[in-house]
Amino acid sequence: MSYLEYNVKTVPSGWRKALHLNWPLVLLLTAVAGVGFLMLYSVAGGSFSPWAEPQMKRFALGLAVMFIVAMVPIWFWRSMSLVAYLGALFLLVLVEFFGTIGMGAQRWIDLGFMRLQPSELMKITLVMFLAAYYDWLPLNKTSRPLWVLLPVLIILLPTALVLTQPDLGTAILLVTGGGLLMFLAGVHWAYFGTVIAAGAGGIWLVFESRGTDWQLLKDYQFRRIDTFLDPSSDPLGAGYHITQAKIAMGSGGWTGRGFMQGTQSRLNFLPEKHTDFIFNTLAEEFGFIGGFSLLLLYVLVLVFCIVSALQNRDRFSSLLILGIGLTFFLYFAVNMSMVMGLAPVVGVPLPMVSYGGSAMLVLMVAFGLVQSAHIHRPR
Amino acid sequence: MIRKPLRPLARILEARERGENPDAIERENRRLRHEDMRDRARSRAEGRLLMLAVMFFCAFSVIGARMGMLAASEPEEPRAQASGHSIIASRADIVDRRGRVLATNMETHSLYAHPQQMVEPERAARELARIFPDLEEERLLKDFSGDRKFLWVKRKLSPEQMQAVHDIGEPGLLFGPREMRLYPNGALASHVLGGAGFGREGVHSAEVVGTAGIEKFHDDLLRDPAREGAPLELSLDLSVQAAAERVLHAGMVMMNARGAASVLMDVQTGEIISIVSLPDFDPNDRPNPPTQGLPSDSPLFNRAVQGVYELGSTFKILTAAQAMDLGLVGPQTVIDTSPPFKVGGFRIGEFDNKNYGKATVEQIIVKSSNRGTGKMALAIGPTRQQEFLKSMGLFDPVPLEIVEARGGKPLIPQRWGDLSTVTISYGHGISTSPLHLAAAYAAIANGGILVKPTLLKQAGPVSGTRVMSPEAAEASRVMLRKVVTEGTASFAEVPGYHIGGKTGTADKPKEKGGGYYKDKVIATFAAIFPAHAPRYALVVTLDEPVETSGEKPRRTAGWTAVPVAAEMVTRIAPLLGLRPDYRDPLEQTLTSTSE
Repeated sequence: MSYLEYNVKTVPSGWRKALHLNWPLVLLLTAVAGVGFLMLYSVAGGSFSPWAEPQMKRFALGLAVMFIVAMVPIWFWRSMSLVAYLGALFLLVLVEFFGTIGMGAQRWIDLGFMRLQPSELMKITLVMFLAAYYDWLPLNKTSRPLWVLLPVLIILLPTALVLTQPDLGTAILLVTGGGLLMFLAGVHWAYFGTVIAAGAGGIWLVFESRGTDWQLLKDYQFRRIDTFLDPSSDPLGAGYHITQAKIAMGSGGWTGRGFMQGTQSRLNFLPEKHTDFIFNTLAEEFGFIGGFSLLLLYVLVLVFCIVSALQNRDRFSSLLILGIGLTFFLYFAVNMSMVMGLAPVVGVPLPMVSYGGSAMLVLMVAFGLVQSAHIHRPR
Repeated sequence: MIRKPLRPLARILEARERGENPDAIERENRRLRHEDMRDRARSRAEGRLLMLAVMFFCAFSVIGARMGMLAASEPEEPRAQASGHSIIASRADIVDRRGRVLATNMETHSLYAHPQQMVEPERAARELARIFPDLEEERLLKDFSGDRKFLWVKRKLSPEQMQAVHDIGEPGLLFGPREMRLYPNGALASHVLGGAGFGREGVHSAEVVGTAGIEKFHDDLLRDPAREGAPLELSLDLSVQAAAERVLHAGMVMMNARGAASVLMDVQTGEIISIVSLPDFDPNDRPNPPTQGLPSDSPLFNRAVQGVYELGSTFKILTAAQAMDLGLVGPQTVIDTSPPFKVGGFRIGEFDNKNYGKATVEQIIVKSSNRGTGKMALAIGPTRQQEFLKSMGLFDPVPLEIVEARGGKPLIPQRWGDLSTVTISYGHGISTSPLHLAAAYAAIANGGILVKPTLLKQAGPVSGTRVMSPEAAEASRVMLRKVVTEGTASFAEVPGYHIGGKTGTADKPKEKGGGYYKDKVIATFAAIFPAHAPRYALVVTLDEPVETSGEKPRRTAGWTAVPVAAEMVTRIAPLLGLRPDYRDPLEQTLTSTSE
């Protein structure tokens, strides 16, 4: 449906738009962020600095940005999606040459007031662009090989750039998120079957390549896989993260040790306790109940997204909402699996909870898009 | 699939009849078809969404279940170090027979550098060169500014040095805990202890391994975690060892000797109470093996164990003891020692060309007659002599618990004819270590039983092999005492401590070519004390001693080794807990045997 087909008169205008915001979703996001503030306050040893306070400021900024994005009609965003995608791609290329090196990877562009991580931005713009692509593409062409190849290239281009940074976690999120969006858009089964088969073959090839001249993954990535398969093989080295993380979960038990009582995080046994491994702090201090509650919050966010997408008859809007929901889901599913030893450690933050500027702001912009799609839905 | 026609003829004709525009029908049908397609796409999308929802649900279930599983897992106490970290148990201490520490461990720090993390490599190099004069600034700077990621700067730091390095404030200089071996008594018993160094080295710890001496011999034992750090108890007595070293060192200086060695051994148990080799070294800072010169001139060389020398006339008592043991002679059997005495074309002479005439066996030992001893040896014969000396352990290295002991293999003649038999009877042509001699004298002292010399503290008496009859041993003991009271070792008379012993002075063989030096001797005094009921055997050996207080230089053991040994006994007998006894030991012997 082109935006010309909208019956614009049925769309709320002016300040009345605020009434049509998906308020429960805003509340849910605030609750999730609140859990984050609580944990950041706790891991800092009961102090707002150095993490909780900047995080709260960023969330406030993020809320404002979300409202602004929500107020702008969704058809504007659709027409902007190509520009946004190309812009993010340009930034990714830029970071390749001028980026700041941190933690062994080149990921950031220093803007002075904040450090921008273009790969975070790409997660949203990719979803936007793919949604716009399938909205534009006549339905009967969806499964034609040429029209399938195009979105595949759209996905793989930024993925390749992200991989060279190197940032395996984001690359996996991009490919999986993009692929699932194509699946939802109705691309034929056979493509996915082929890709999955090829993927399995590729994994086999990667393992086969180990130790040869044409080794496909870096040694540290192989080690992470090894450690994932058997964390106890290297408890002081690469397996340290996951061993300590599991100890934290076990020590939390069902009801937890109590707020600010987590020894694993307090005594610095947990690595990255304020970013990727913040969930373990939560699980240690509030136990299974705390961890499961956060999981439920995430599930509710996702459910609201799906319901909103189903209500929306506009193809771009519903694909965009689902894509963002998917990205959000992948974020927390991968992070939680990682910190609980279900997946290799790939460095994906816990959305809205982990300390971090780019990720938080980008997610708020994304939910701003979700809100915009919700407000401006055809009625 | 049969598509619905956009312009069904029937309806078109109908519409035309009614005068309507048939295009409207097509538009209508087109719209319907479009909506139909969209609806199908939508339902397919919803079906796919449902599938995804199922996937989500599975993911949630798995994550939730995992959360529950971990929550239910046994809470494990957080540990600073995960299991699997190899705990290097502390190396066991080495203590003397009274539990005084000879070797222990000290916590120090090693210094290493991460040049990549350095802030000011130039300043760090300059300051380090100032703190450690043995480090070169240019070299350090080169190492620090290269692309190396890691390098050792110092293996061991004293606390003062560590503080000084700390004060540089360079984040690229790091300390690692490091346990090092410490010998608190310095050079004392250095040849026994040997030394230790680092084996495998890590940043957080290093393996301490024995490099010499008992540290190397019992390396496994000292490192065995099953012993739980129980110290290794040596037979040495620290205070006796200290006194012996001091006396021997003074004696070595006074007698202008190149080196000296002494062995003090318990004759019943074989325990080495003190063993000294001079010059010595500090095992805390063990010198490197010499690259030039003879290894036997290095301080590392253990003269008491590794050094094999012709020990001269000290062997005569062994010949006499065997002859008496075999019943060939008694102490009072008279032997003609007058010249000429030729064996294999060689004339056997006496010291200073003396002539002792007809003498008893006792006199032969007391006066140290070569010809008399040689004649006894001829009566014994080469075969029996070899058997006897072999049974005394004089053909093989002493199995002492230091790695160097293997090197102390005696030198014995290839062809053992009559001439060898005669010369060996008075200690020439056979080279053994002072330790060998001490073990042989201990056998005489304890009544004829050879005990194995050991450096480990023994719980009680040990069994040994009998090498001679008690009577022969007893007679030999009396003779040894008479050597001191009437013979060549008169300087060995120590009031209160009756010593028996035999001197030996042997010309040193030339290093190159054959023959002997005229003015270089090995002077040895082998003694047992107290003479009436010996408990200790003592061997003192001086390498190239010259006593210069008289008109002409004197080199014989009676003038050199004997006074040193006497001084040593004076000093160590009280330390050993021996009560001074001023009665004549020979009378006591007579009374005790007559009872």
